[in-house]
Parts: sequence; structure tokens; C-alpha cells
Amino acid sequence: MKPESYIWIENLSKRYKNAKTDAVHQLSLGIDQAEIFGLLGPNGAGKTTTISILCQQLTATSGGFYVNGYHHQQEKEKIKKIIGVVPQDIALYPQLTAYENLRFFGNLYGLKGKILKSTVHKHLERFGLLDRVNDRIEDYSGGMKRRINLIAGILHKPQIIFLDEPTVGIDVQSKTVIIEYLKELNKKGTTIVYTSHHMEEAEQFCSRIAIIDQGLIIENGRPAQLIESYENCQSLEDIFLQLTGRKLRD
Amino acid sequence: MWLKFKASIQKEFLLLIRDKAGLAILFIMPMALVLIMTLLQDSSFKAIGEKQLPLLIVNHDADTFGLRIIEGLKSSQFFKVVEEIEGQKLDEKALVKQVEDGNFQIGIVIHKQATHAIRESVKRKIQGQFPDDELFELDPSMTQVPAKVDIFFDPVTKQSFKQVIISALRQYASMVEANIMFSIYAQMFNDLLGVSVSMDEEFGSMVVFDQQYASTLKSNTIPNSAQHNVPAWTIFAMFFIVIPLASNIIKERDSGLERRLRTLPGSYSAILVGKTMVYFIIGLLQAVFMLLMGVFVLPYFDMPALNIGNAYAPLLLITLAVSLAATSYGILLGTVATSHEQSSIFGAISVVILAAIGGVWVPTFMMNDLMKQVSQLSPLNWGLNGYYDVFLRSAGVGDVLQNLLLLMAFMLSCLVATFTYNRLKRKT
Repeated sequence: MKPESYIWIENLSKRYKNAKTDAVHQLSLGIDQAEIFGLLGPNGAGKTTTISILCQQLTATSGGFYVNGYHHQQEKEKIKKIIGVVPQDIALYPQLTAYENLRFFGNLYGLKGKILKSTVHKHLERFGLLDRVNDRIEDYSGGMKRRINLIAGILHKPQIIFLDEPTVGIDVQSKTVIIEYLKELNKKGTTIVYTSHHMEEAEQFCSRIAIIDQGLIIENGRPAQLIESYENCQSLEDIFLQLTGRKLRD
Repeated sequence: MWLKFKASIQKEFLLLIRDKAGLAILFIMPMALVLIMTLLQDSSFKAIGEKQLPLLIVNHDADTFGLRIIEGLKSSQFFKVVEEIEGQKLDEKALVKQVEDGNFQIGIVIHKQATHAIRESVKRKIQGQFPDDELFELDPSMTQVPAKVDIFFDPVTKQSFKQVIISALRQYASMVEANIMFSIYAQMFNDLLGVSVSMDEEFGSMVVFDQQYASTLKSNTIPNSAQHNVPAWTIFAMFFIVIPLASNIIKERDSGLERRLRTLPGSYSAILVGKTMVYFIIGLLQAVFMLLMGVFVLPYFDMPALNIGNAYAPLLLITLAVSLAATSYGILLGTVATSHEQSSIFGAISVVILAAIGGVWVPTFMMNDLMKQVSQLSPLNWGLNGYYDVFLRSAGVGDVLQNLLLLMAFMLSCLVATFTYNRLKRKT
């Protein structure tokens, strides 16, 4: 296997213990540098599993991938250093203040001293949270928590950001500021891989999307081109429903 | 690596000091536990070796035998002699009633002329050796009357106490008999040979029983309830750290923090070691506070102070080892348990079982042979034995080495199991 893209995934499969089928099955995909790549799919399609494997949270059952030419097993640490992860959960310490949380994650990324302070200050200011810096996370609203959750994953200026539904359950203002900031980072060359259920958001935000269902990629392309290629489909959501059906998912 | 470790310690420390209920569980409750359990168990320990049993006595013999019994029992460490109740001397009937009612476990009645009866009995024995001479003027009314002592026992009185009182009375009677016999022979020497034999001192025991503890005792520390209860409940409380520690790990896992932390550069183990370090220090602080309480606070509750001896190096080592063992057990529990409920119930019950078999509640010397064998499987027993060695036997580092190694082996087993479980879990 030789990497043909910035992120190169080949025949990636994952079967959980006691499961009868693969959560991800023989998934092959290439993501170019500075792309905003959307991984879309219904519940249980395999989006989070795929992202978790790419972030080194899970080990693949078979297959493999490269990130920036680094092998997923032999160069794990190199991959970890260039990626930033923003999980779907608010993975922060509620009893700590925003500053204490960000200092902790900054330290874990190797940031310290004045550089860490100025980086934290800059991000908090950008996300409108500077006046709440010393408040505990447990006292924050859902949108504020999401913004801190994002900052904690990008403090170290990663080359690639993996975001698992970063805008779920928040107000329009918070969603807008997050999306705008991610676009700014992308313009500076950051590659963004993101999962979402918001088809409209993905249509506007992503340069390319893949629709995944039952562990398989069933469509892959630029949103505008896909909409054009499907007759009777006016939006990404129409294509999504046409491909994945209207049956409810667990 | 160092920055990651430092950040983890800083974060855990902040989380701990902001959790007021958690701090109470870690410090105030264990100290209260040590105090209450030592108070509760103090009476049991006194019953074993220290407490004096009240003993009611009616003495109708105003002579040597009666006085010797009272004097002997009063000087005994086992009995508290009571001769009158509410300023009133008792008769035999009142004494029996007191024992019947359970107010006293033992009552003794020394009958009238008991000493006279012994004296007459001795004279008759000596007279029997010299049938042709009339050595004494014998009291014809005392022909068949032995010296009489009635002993009344409450049915709940332990057999061991019964044996002690009967042995003591036999000993006093023998001493009085010997003294009377010697004084009669002395008088005979005076009368027959004109040799003056004085008896300035009464016969006492001619054997000295020197009681010592069979150990390499360098200090003269005598074991008491504090010396068992304080270290025992300190270890118990230190092991209870598994509950907040396991809960902390599960909380981190359930909130998605663990998954996030695993995506960061460097090993997740550094974060886990930082967490362990904070709880390890908490364990040490718990031990310090609880031992200091044993030394300084227990005497205010009319209990013996904990004597920590002077073997500070082994004391420190055994405390470090107990804290490490408890912390590593907490990490294993937090890793394997799937929910808070599971970890807190299993954690609490497992520590209680390990404490029970380890001799925390009932000291191992009071256990039957089977349980004594089983107790050696408990890490709490290894820690407790280490403290016994330090407090009661002034042990050196070499003397506590076996228990130290067992505790370290337990710690390593827990960490290896945690590491292996984590590896397998990530693969599945």
C-alpha cells in the first residue's frame, strides 16, 4: 500500500467484539491536503468508528491508512502530533475553569509558558469567551461548552482537524462562529475531516463529501457536482435520503 | 513527558480540592472511622487482657486467710475487689442476690474461723507425726470442719476466669497453710531445743515468673487496642481510596475524556501515572493524619495513645507500599468496571472482605487455623503485619521486607492487569 493522497485509507475494516457484521467494511478513501471533507451518514453508519480509527482511538480489524505519509501503526506518534481531535462529547473537566481546561490540554500538546497563555487568550477572544475565562465549565451554556471543546482540540495548530459533529445541539450564533473559524483555518492550509447530520451545513461547508452507510461508502464527490448528477435531487439531503432510504435507524 | 505528567498532577489536584464531598470521604470519614472503631473495640481488647473483672467478696474470717485472699485479689490485675455496696457491708444472701441479678460475675464468701480451721488442721497433721506426745491443745469442736470458701459464679462467666479465681484461691490457701505450719514448727524448735527461730517474713513464692514478649523487642511497647485498631483501620481507610479513584477513571471514560486523551501525543500512561501519584499522596496524607490522631487524639477519649515506636524507616516504607497497593487496585477497578455503581459496590465489598479476612476487624491471633491461613492472602493483612512489626516489635527494614515485597507484588499485578486489559479493549 502506497499513499496516494494526504490521508489515504485502504480496505479499512472494523468489527467490534461480539458483533455479527463490520461497523466499517473494506473502506477505501483519499482526502487531499487543505480539503474540508465531510463524512455523512445515518446513525450507526460507521462515521464515528472511521474517525476514531484515524485518530488512533481504535485499532482497525484489517486494512490501514496513512496520514501525511505516516503509517498508522509504525508512525503513530507522528500522526498524533499533526492532528487535532474535536470529539462529539463535551470532553472537558466540568469542575475546572475554561482556562484550566485549556492549559491542561495545551500542556499535553507540549505548549507552556507565554506561548500557551497567548494562544489560549487569542482563541478565547476569537470565540467571545474571554470574560468567562475563569468560570467553571459546568456553569457554561451548551454553545459555550462546544466552543471550548473545539479550542481544546486546535490549540496546537494541527495540520489536520478531525471533528465529530462539532455543531450538534447548539444555537445558530455558536454554530456560525465555529464554522467561520474552521473556514479561516482551512484557508491557511488546514485539512478538515468532519462528520455531521446537518446536510445543509455540510453542503455549504464541505469541499467534498462521502456518504457512508452500513460501513460502506456509497457516494463520494463535491456537493454541487453530486446534486447536479442526481436527477430529481435539489439538495444533498435529497441525495442522502435517496441513497440511505427513509427507514428509521437505531 | 514531564510536562504531561505535571499537567496531569495539577489537574487532579484541582479536581480534588474542588470536590468537597470527595475530600470529606478521603479525610474526615476515615479519621472518624478510626476513632469510632478504636473506641468500640477498646472494650473488647480490655476484655482480652486489660479489663479488671468486678468481684464481690464477703469475709467473715477476720484472720490471716481472709485477709490474705482479699489482699491477693486486690493486687491482682484481673480483679476489682468490692466488699461493700453503697457503703453497706454485705451478707451472704445479699452477695448471692447480686450475682444472681448479673451485677457481678463472681462472688466469694469466706466463712467464719477459716484461718482457725486451717490452723487446727495443720496442728492435727503435725500431731499425727508424733502420736506418743501431746504437742498441742487441740480444739475438739474443729475435728471435721475444713476451712470453707463459697464461690458463686454468674452462668455467663468465662471458664478461663473461673480457673483463674480458683487457682488464685488455692494459691493463697497453700501459702497460709505453709506459713501456719512453719510458725508451729518454729514454736516447737523454741520449746524443745531452746533455739530461737524467728519468722520475720511470711512465705511467698520461691519462683520468680518473669513475663516477656517473645520478639526482638528493642522498646518496651506493650500492645494495646490502639496498636491494633489505629493501623488496622488506617489501612482499611487507605484501601477505600479505590472508590473515588475508580469513580474518577470511569467519569473520565464516560465523558469521552479518556478517548480524547488517547488521541494526544505521548503515552496515556503518563496521564494515568499523574493521576496515580495524586491519589498515592492522598493515601500517605491519610496515613499521617490517622496515625497522628492515634498518638495525640485518642488519649482525650480515655484510650491508650498509639506508640509508633522509633523504627521510622520501616514505618515509612510500609506506609508507601500500602498506599501504592491501594492506588493500583483502584486503577484496576476503575479500568475494568463498566459503571459507577459496579465500581463502588464491588470496590466497597471487596475492601470489606479483604479487611475482614486480613484481620482488621478481628485480629488474626483470635481467628481459627483455617482463617489464619486465609488471612495471609489479603494485602490488608500484609500491611497490618508490617505495622505490627514496626509498632510492637520495633522491626528493622529487613523484618518488614516480606510484607513490603508482597504489597509491591500486588501493586505490580494490578498494574499489569490494567495494562493488559486496556490493550485488549482497544483491539476489540
